[in-house]
Amino acid sequence: METLAETSGIALFIPKVYDIVWSLIILVVVAVFFYKFFLPKFQSVFDERTAKIEGGIAKAQKDQEAARAAKEQYEAQLSNARVEASKIRDDARAEASHIVADARSRAESEAAQITANAQRSLASQQQQALVSLKGEVGALATALAGKILGAKLEDPGVQSSMIDSMIDDLDSGAKTAAK
Amino acid sequence: MTDVFGAGLVLAASGPEIPTIDDFLPPEILFQGTPFAMNRIVLVRVVMTVVILLVLGITAARAKLVPGRWQGFVEWGIEYVRDKIVYEVMGEVRGKRYVPMITTMFFTILLFNLCGIIPGMNIAATATVMMPLAFALWTFVQYWRAATREQGLLTFLKHECVPQGVPPVMLILVIPIQLLDVVVIRPLSLTVRLFANMMAGHIILALCLSATQFFLIEAHNAMAAFGAITLIAGFVMTLFEAFVAYLQAFIFATLSTVYINLSYPED
Repeated sequence: METLAETSGIALFIPKVYDIVWSLIILVVVAVFFYKFFLPKFQSVFDERTAKIEGGIAKAQKDQEAARAAKEQYEAQLSNARVEASKIRDDARAEASHIVADARSRAESEAAQITANAQRSLASQQQQALVSLKGEVGALATALAGKILGAKLEDPGVQSSMIDSMIDDLDSGAKTAAK
Repeated sequence: MTDVFGAGLVLAASGPEIPTIDDFLPPEILFQGTPFAMNRIVLVRVVMTVVILLVLGITAARAKLVPGRWQGFVEWGIEYVRDKIVYEVMGEVRGKRYVPMITTMFFTILLFNLCGIIPGMNIAATATVMMPLAFALWTFVQYWRAATREQGLLTFLKHECVPQGVPPVMLILVIPIQLLDVVVIRPLSLTVRLFANMMAGHIILALCLSATQFFLIEAHNAMAAFGAITLIAGFVMTLFEAFVAYLQAFIFATLSTVYINLSYPED
């Protein structure tokens, strides 16, 4: 079996010229590939990914911040609105009582005015009635008295004195009634 | 050469074809006699390089923000080298500069090693001495450059060759040993470790499979059962070689990082 290995083992460790050439060519080619293309390309992918992830985290934080601010603003507005609402309610209540009081006083004064008007017209009507009554009663009484007294009253002197005394009686009677 | 092949052919009839170190010194098959001559191993290396450029190149060109499975796998490899090898050994600040170098080494050595178990290639592309040596020389250049840049050559040599707490008499021994270590042993050990591992792996694998071929198919005798065992062994060794391919790439990359890191002044 040793006969197979006729080449001395040391030959293995002495590089041939073409081996040197090809090894160095390949080393340079591979190194250039890794240095200039492969690793920069992946590095840029890694960087981009990192940036994207960090950007995403920052964005999430910003969104959270905004949401918190919005919530605070909303709560502030809500409490403001509550205060305002209670204020409005109080105002309304005050105004309502004011309106009611106003209306009541207005109604009272109107009522008083109506009453006064009524009394006034009542008084004037009474006066009117008295005046017209005075005329009619005179004529009526004259006619009546003429019928009763007949001839006795044919004499105009008697007639006029009688009417005068009767009107005086009626006058004094109306005066007492008006009082 | 022809004698060797003749002997191989004769033996093939009478016993299993034993793999030899001649597998690692194959005849030139292309451009014979020129500096660009190619033998089987060089051809495997060139083919694998083209495959690497195509596959990883297309992967990189199509790299998306949201990775698919394959891109995720490649990214995992890149991050593994960066975090578990470079940053683990020298930290992020020093390591950043060397990530491309170590990534190139790890990926290339791993894929070249794996050629040893790829059917049709059947030999690691790192299985001639020059390829591991080229990577080792790269490391060598880088750690000398780092030493010159970071602390000056003399300080570095003094620090490496004159360890603290060594009695002055012993320095007569220690200084040459340490100097030898920095100048020769570090790159050479990188080279030999990788090269020898690939050689040994190929020989064991080829032995298992050629024995299987011989006992199961050619021999037709009671040794067939033995052939079954060698077949299983060949299967196991294939898996083992895949592991060794990774392990050697990892060791090469890690030690390169360690050597470069040793060139930096200690805090």
